[in-house]
Amino acid sequence: MVEGRAPIVHTKALTKAYGEHVALNALDLQIEAGATGLLGANGAGKSTLLKTLLGLIQVTSGEGTVLGHDIRTEGPSIRQRIGYMPEYESLDPRMDGIHQVRYAGELLGMNPVVAMQRAHQCLEYVGLGEQRYRQIDGYSTGMRQATKLACAIVHDPEMIIADEPSNGLDAAARDFMLQTLDTTVRNGQRSVLMASHLMDDVEQVCERIVLLHKGRLVAEGRIEDLKAIDREYEVHVWGAAEAMERGLLDRGLRVRRQGRVMRVADDRDDVPREVLEVAATTGSQVRRLHTYEASLEDLFIAIMERLGHDVKSSEDLLAGGAPR
Amino acid sequence: MTDADPIEEKAVQAEEDVRFDEASPVTGASRIEAAYSAEDGGQASVAKTGSTGQVFTQTYLPWTGTLNPRWARNWAVYRHHILGLVRSGHRPWPLLVRAYLVLVLIGSVGDIFPVLLGSLFGDGIGEVFMISRDSLYAHVLGFFPRNVLYYPVVTALIVGTMISEDRLNGTSALYFSRPITRFDYVAMKYLAAATILFILCVFTLFIYYTVEVLAMGHGWAWIVDTFPLLLGATVAGMLLVVTYTSLGLAMSSVSTNGFFPAIGLLALVLGSKSVAFLVALLFEQDVLYLLSPYDALANVGQALIGTESNYDIPWTWSLVSVVAMNALSLFLLANRVASMEVTRE
Repeated sequence: MVEGRAPIVHTKALTKAYGEHVALNALDLQIEAGATGLLGANGAGKSTLLKTLLGLIQVTSGEGTVLGHDIRTEGPSIRQRIGYMPEYESLDPRMDGIHQVRYAGELLGMNPVVAMQRAHQCLEYVGLGEQRYRQIDGYSTGMRQATKLACAIVHDPEMIIADEPSNGLDAAARDFMLQTLDTTVRNGQRSVLMASHLMDDVEQVCERIVLLHKGRLVAEGRIEDLKAIDREYEVHVWGAAEAMERGLLDRGLRVRRQGRVMRVADDRDDVPREVLEVAATTGSQVRRLHTYEASLEDLFIAIMERLGHDVKSSEDLLAGGAPR
Repeated sequence: MTDADPIEEKAVQAEEDVRFDEASPVTGASRIEAAYSAEDGGQASVAKTGSTGQVFTQTYLPWTGTLNPRWARNWAVYRHHILGLVRSGHRPWPLLVRAYLVLVLIGSVGDIFPVLLGSLFGDGIGEVFMISRDSLYAHVLGFFPRNVLYYPVVTALIVGTMISEDRLNGTSALYFSRPITRFDYVAMKYLAAATILFILCVFTLFIYYTVEVLAMGHGWAWIVDTFPLLLGATVAGMLLVVTYTSLGLAMSSVSTNGFFPAIGLLALVLGSKSVAFLVALLFEQDVLYLLSPYDALANVGQALIGTESNYDIPWTWSLVSVVAMNALSLFLLANRVASMEVTRE
């Protein structure tokens, strides 16, 4: 990972309002070099944040810098040093891959000959070396995503903004895309800001996340550190599970139960002892008791629950729209 | 290796035995062996390790070059659209469009052939086509075929998809996520379309004029006499190029396909002309000519070149109309392009 550098993105009380709708609400953000996942429900302000970071829209108030450039006044300089991989189609289907990437380089100010040379390198890097002279119209979704990534990295930017990079990809293409992003961070020493609604993808590539909700920053930091807020014990019981759940709740423990499996929040001292005491009282057999390694998905749900939203999975929020 | 495997040794020996080169005698046995790899059966069958070629290794290669400034980016947009007409690897223009442009180019320089014939066989043959106020006007603003089949159709074909396809394909994100401003984006597309129309309309006018000077052997006095007419026709031609391009790009910016802008532009140019003509014919009201782009341009062009005017309305009104049409088109264009998204289209 890229460590020990100044923050690549820094915002202070950043606010963007469209009329009465506040898309970004006093956002204080600090993104360090490396891979960072940008999470949030639809309408959370992710797109607005990306546009703001690219210097494409005027902020209502507050300030911010990207790679040291002011987002309010130095948009072109920012976009010259950033590679943006859009979520949606952004390729001319009638062009072939190599010329599309070369043109993407020329649009950044690269000499056409140099851009062509670099396009070959980039398409080779994203796994399209053999397909680069094929028309984009005949590309699969994975190949199109890879071409978009090649367009984003053609000028070797310091930071890559990848908006839903694994959108619509099958398992193999998704793995390769994530591996490519990971290689770009680890091997290329470049930073990636990855907006995605797939928690597993974010967890695979990123070591940090930024979680937005209704334009506000609700979580930011290393995934491992954030997981600490959702530390639990997983208990597998046999018999009288319901009674045991009641017993644990009566003791003031936070419990989630699904059948014979319970998760008990590790938010006070000696939770295992209390679990065993309740089990002894209710006559339940404890077959297994261990600390539960939370996934990013669990973390997301835990944060959303704390914000007052009853969600079963990240899909409810990220694919189905923002909760009221 | 000191203790070589006897089977492997035999395999190597057998391989050497069946090795053929140019000097090898062509015998029946060697042919059979070559065709079927069949020997006497004494050859040991040993599996060999296949060559796997080069395994794909993903390595990020940095680039240490420098990026050129704004003019280079704008030049890239401009050349992408222009070079696409003649070379692959740039904006892919449909074959039909390219073929039509060639036909229009030939048609546009069509008036030099009578001039050349006139220079060979006497003034009588090419007299109508020799440089005059009327022939210069006809080259730029003649209604048929130039302003029915040539310039409006070319504009429709060129600008119809120029912005709309960026909305359709999402390629606007490719531009605006880079340091291309919306002004640069529109300006370069505008210039590219105008350049193509300029070549067909105005550049051919210069060719026509130059050919006559050379073919007829005109002297400085003739040039001094006719040059103001050429300038007038050039300005009229430029007005036509600018107005058609503005109207066409404005149409293109409000759509996500190429058909509507193309048909819309043709309907605007030819439809308004037809309606204005019918109204003038039936009700003797010329005012609608002010709303017809072609007629407004023609009225101004006639004044600039100095030909007899076909219109009862003052040319200054038509000029105001032309300016207003351009202003409205550019306003619409600017607004629509400003609304083009990067994150979602």
